[in-house]
Amino acid sequence: MDLVPAAVSAPLSPPPAAVGSAPPRDTPRRPVPAPETLHPTLWLGHQLARHADVAVPSGFKMLDAQLPGGGWPRRALTELLLPHAGVGEIRLLCASLVATQKAGRLVMLFDPPSALSAHALAQLGFDVEQLLIVNTRTRVIPGTDSLWALEQALKSGHVGAVLAWLPPRLQPERLRRLQLAAHNHDGPAFVLRETSAAQRPTSAPLRLALRPGGADVLAVRVLKRRGPPLEAPLQLELPPVLSSMALQRARIGPSAGLPAAANASSLALHTATFINLAAAG
Amino acid sequence: MLWIALHLPLLSLESFAATLPQESGAQPLALTDGLKILSANATARALGVKPGLKRATALALASQLVLGQASAARDEQALVTVAHAALAFTPIVVMLEASGAVGAPPPHTVLLDVQGSRRYFGGLRQLVQRLHAVLAPLGHALHTGIAPTALGATVLARLQRQTYCADRAALHAALDPLPVWLIGPGREHWDALEGMGLRTLAELRRLPRGGLARRFGPAVLSELDRAYGDCPDPLEPISLPPSFESRLELFARADTTEQVLYGAGVLLARLVPWLSAQHAFVRRFTLVMQHEPRWRRDAQTPAATTLDVALAEPSRDPAHLLVLLRERLAQVELPAPTIELRLHAEDIVRRPPPNDELFPTARSESEGLTRLIERLQARLGPGQVQRIAAVADHRPERATVVHVQEATQHWSVRAFAGVQPEQNPATPVRPVWLLQQPQPLRERASGPLLDGQPLQLLSGPERIESGWWDAALAERDYYIAQLADGALVWVYRARLPLAAPSQGWFLQGRFG
Repeated sequence: MDLVPAAVSAPLSPPPAAVGSAPPRDTPRRPVPAPETLHPTLWLGHQLARHADVAVPSGFKMLDAQLPGGGWPRRALTELLLPHAGVGEIRLLCASLVATQKAGRLVMLFDPPSALSAHALAQLGFDVEQLLIVNTRTRVIPGTDSLWALEQALKSGHVGAVLAWLPPRLQPERLRRLQLAAHNHDGPAFVLRETSAAQRPTSAPLRLALRPGGADVLAVRVLKRRGPPLEAPLQLELPPVLSSMALQRARIGPSAGLPAAANASSLALHTATFINLAAAG
Repeated sequence: MLWIALHLPLLSLESFAATLPQESGAQPLALTDGLKILSANATARALGVKPGLKRATALALASQLVLGQASAARDEQALVTVAHAALAFTPIVVMLEASGAVGAPPPHTVLLDVQGSRRYFGGLRQLVQRLHAVLAPLGHALHTGIAPTALGATVLARLQRQTYCADRAALHAALDPLPVWLIGPGREHWDALEGMGLRTLAELRRLPRGGLARRFGPAVLSELDRAYGDCPDPLEPISLPPSFESRLELFARADTTEQVLYGAGVLLARLVPWLSAQHAFVRRFTLVMQHEPRWRRDAQTPAATTLDVALAEPSRDPAHLLVLLRERLAQVELPAPTIELRLHAEDIVRRPPPNDELFPTARSESEGLTRLIERLQARLGPGQVQRIAAVADHRPERATVVHVQEATQHWSVRAFAGVQPEQNPATPVRPVWLLQQPQPLRERASGPLLDGQPLQLLSGPERIESGWWDAALAERDYYIAQLADGALVWVYRARLPLAAPSQGWFLQGRFG
């Protein structure tokens, strides 16, 4: 459909018969409609994009407000960069992964960095028996087989959500292949990599850098998204692990650690001092 | 009764071509009996090689000619496959046997009685079209003859590509002008008959029966009567064997996986009609690769390598079976080149075929997941696809048990059994990541150090004393500690007396 009416292209010279009459007026232009009203995948540089599919809500309102589409994208990779395992990434993702399990679909983990605790996952709300873990690092050829397994799972289209730890220093074209395979995958696909990968470009449409921002707080920097860049990191309150008393102690600082432990003698046998957590709340 | 006769005029050549490696697609092929050429394929005939030429002449005309010998056993296996494929259309399928006459070529014909199946398949034309569609993947050249008598249909199929006679009168009209050597005994006595001026079947029928029987034997009369429908012709239909066994002797030894896979593909193409005929799916099959004796390095090298493939979801899709076989073969190292392949299948399950749905449903998703897991296990090896379960043990390293997802376990998604995370301060929190071996930490000023940074102990201690009943006694005080950058870790202090210099602080896990 053409947005500009054809009559705007007026002839360069007036016709000889019109000499003496008034010059032709410019036809008033119709207002150009905004691109985001034409199709859901069109957006201008200062806007946040929307998705053709419904995005998966992340469980954190502050994060959802900053993500295009209002949640984790489907049919595309989401790259998370961590300094080391254990900054709170599972607590960040548990809301969307548990929702995927509740919808009756499979959640697969590829090459988790160390052993998982079933009790901890059950406490976060997972159905532990329905998780599938694929280990590919024990094979002789590192790097190739882990990506083959991930690519097969994405291409099959039957898996609900995928959480994959990629080997370090990955070639960009391998990631591009995974992004293409993710077009078949109806659900979120999280790939977790090392922080130094931020210096290299990625073909994933969403890239977040995670850092611990305090006890039970995660600092999220949005490095790449379909929308305007976000300068300030988001401080997200994770599902707490510490009691409120311990949180206060964490905020005060290392100077006020547990007095009993700091003064414990270095005898072979120790008696520990109990802190009544129930009384402290 | 309405019989369809399927005659395979080039069966020997085609079964010989199946033993060749895949790259000889358009090569000239010929069958020889040692001295003379018996038959040649289209490429060879284009180069001038004709049946009856001497071997040396043929090789001079076409230097890349591949010569082979006809093998009755190999032809029989290929014909049995066609018969099994035909069993999907009618239970009465007959494989015509050789008449035993001298010089008679093997009949290579499969007969089907389709009178009872015409209505089910929506008419004779539809039935014949579907039959040709089912037989097309086998790659044989077919002549089809349709007639009210079995032998009449056979005779018609021998000469022409496709003939249809609706009733006895049409059959008589079609058979009358045909030459005499089309029926077996007529071939034997062809010279004598021609000397008498008898060339067509009509002329043969007009002769007095007694004289004909005395002159040429009763076989001529009986075949003529059976072909024209004047005399009943009871035939024994074949029955399906209870287990599937098929052999393929390769023409050239197979050194690479691709060549073995091509031969295995031919064998799987024979397995699928056997399964379809009994509406069954295969659950487990075995491929045996026989090695060439003189290439085996020593007596310890096994004579054959066996590959056992078990499926979680019974299937009869040849593409899926070939993919599984390819992944398994990629991991096996063959000690010597292969010259013979054998496929054996016995474990089948009979059930109606799954419905193909347009939109993905839970059932098709679980089937797709089972196939995905099968492929991952075939490629990565057993034991790499795992599930975890919680165990009621206080010791954290034993509280999670890892189950290997077996190759034959079917994946099914059951109802969600997770519990909402309740904020109950009495239940102890556990970290998601546990180290396999607790990492010992150094101590400074009675506090643990990780990577040189002192840890701030925030919560604890939680005392775990357990395991007095087996050798792994654990007496530990667990604390949640904070790293310098703010991440939370789970450390413990062992209470047992320890040898110096270890102070007893260990890192057990990280809160993910």
